[in-house]
Amino acid sequence: MDEELEQFEAELRRLRPRAVDHRLCDAIAKKIVPVRTTNLLGRARTWIALPVAAALVGSVVYFTTFSPPGSRQLASAAAPTSPIAVPSPAPQFKPVAARNILVSATDEGLVSLADGTPARRIRQSYVDTITWQNASTKASLTWTVPREEVKVVPVSYQ
Amino acid sequence: MKTTRTDLMEDAHGNSAWSQWFEVHGPKLLLCARQWTRSLADAEDAVQEAFVRFWRGQRELGGEPFPLVLTSIRRVAFDLARGNLRRTRRELRALDAAEGDGLLFEPLAEGDERRRAIEAALKRLPDEQREVLVLKIWGELTFAQIAGQLGISPNTAASRYRYALTALRHDLTETNCHG
Repeated sequence: MDEELEQFEAELRRLRPRAVDHRLCDAIAKKIVPVRTTNLLGRARTWIALPVAAALVGSVVYFTTFSPPGSRQLASAAAPTSPIAVPSPAPQFKPVAARNILVSATDEGLVSLADGTPARRIRQSYVDTITWQNASTKASLTWTVPREEVKVVPVSYQ
Repeated sequence: MKTTRTDLMEDAHGNSAWSQWFEVHGPKLLLCARQWTRSLADAEDAVQEAFVRFWRGQRELGGEPFPLVLTSIRRVAFDLARGNLRRTRRELRALDAAEGDGLLFEPLAEGDERRRAIEAALKRLPDEQREVLVLKIWGELTFAQIAGQLGISPNTAASRYRYALTALRHDLTETNCHG
C-alpha cells in the first residue's frame, strides 16, 4: 500500500464512531441486569426461608441417620446390603455453540399504540439451539427451544 | 487487576462491568450494524437484541466477545431486512428520509466538513466494499476475522478493503476538485 493510502487510512482511523444513545444502554440494562428486591417483605422471606430450609435438611439427615431399629430391620430384610455408592460428580458441560434460526415471520398488520401512534405488529418464530460439551469425555448435549417474538414497530408517514 | 476485554465481561454480575465494555465497543458495534440495516433505529434494535442474546446465552463460550456479538448483529440485521420486505413502500421511504440518521461519526471540533464528506463518500461505496472497510478500520478486525464474519476468503477481504480505500480516496479527491 503506498504512503498516501496509508496516510488516508490513518485519517479514517482518527474518526470516532458515533456514541451510543443512552436510551439504547437503558434498554439493554433493563433486559440483562436482575432487579433486586429491597423491600422488607423480600428480606423477611429470605430470613424465614433460610432456617426453614436448614430445618428440612436437618430432618432429612436425622431420619436417614437415626431411623428406629424396627425400620432398619425391615429395610435390611427387604434389601440386601450393598456398599454405599458415592455419587460421581456431575459432568462438566460447557456451552460451545449457539444458533438462532428464524423460522417464520408474519406481518399481523397495523395496530394502534396507547397514544394513538400507528404501528406494525410482526410475529417472528425462532428456533434456538445451544450445544454443550464435556471437554474431557467429548459428550455433547444439544438443547433446542422454540421461541416466538412479537414486535410492534411504530410507523412513520412523512 | 483484570484489564482484558473478556475479563471485564466475565466479571459482570452487576451494572458496571458490562456497561464499561459497552461504552468502549458499543459505538463500533452500532457503526457495523448500520452497514447491514436500513436505519439507525434498526441498527440500534439489532445491537440491543444481539448483545442481550450474547449476554444470556453466549458469554461463557470464551474468546473475544466483539466478534461473537457482531455475528449476532449480522443475523438480526438480516432478520430485520426480511421483516422490512413486508413494510409498505411508504414506510420505507419515510425511513430513508429520516433526519439525523446520517451521522456515522462524532463531529470534529475542526474540519467537520471533511468528516461529512467522508461519511457521504462512504455511503456511495458498494455495500460489499463498505462493510469490509468498516469492519477493518473501526471494527478493528483482522482480515481473517472479517473473512469468517462474511463467509469469504481472507484474500477477498483484503482485496475489497484495498478497492474500498482507493475508491473512497478517489471519490473525496474528485469532490474536492469539483467543490
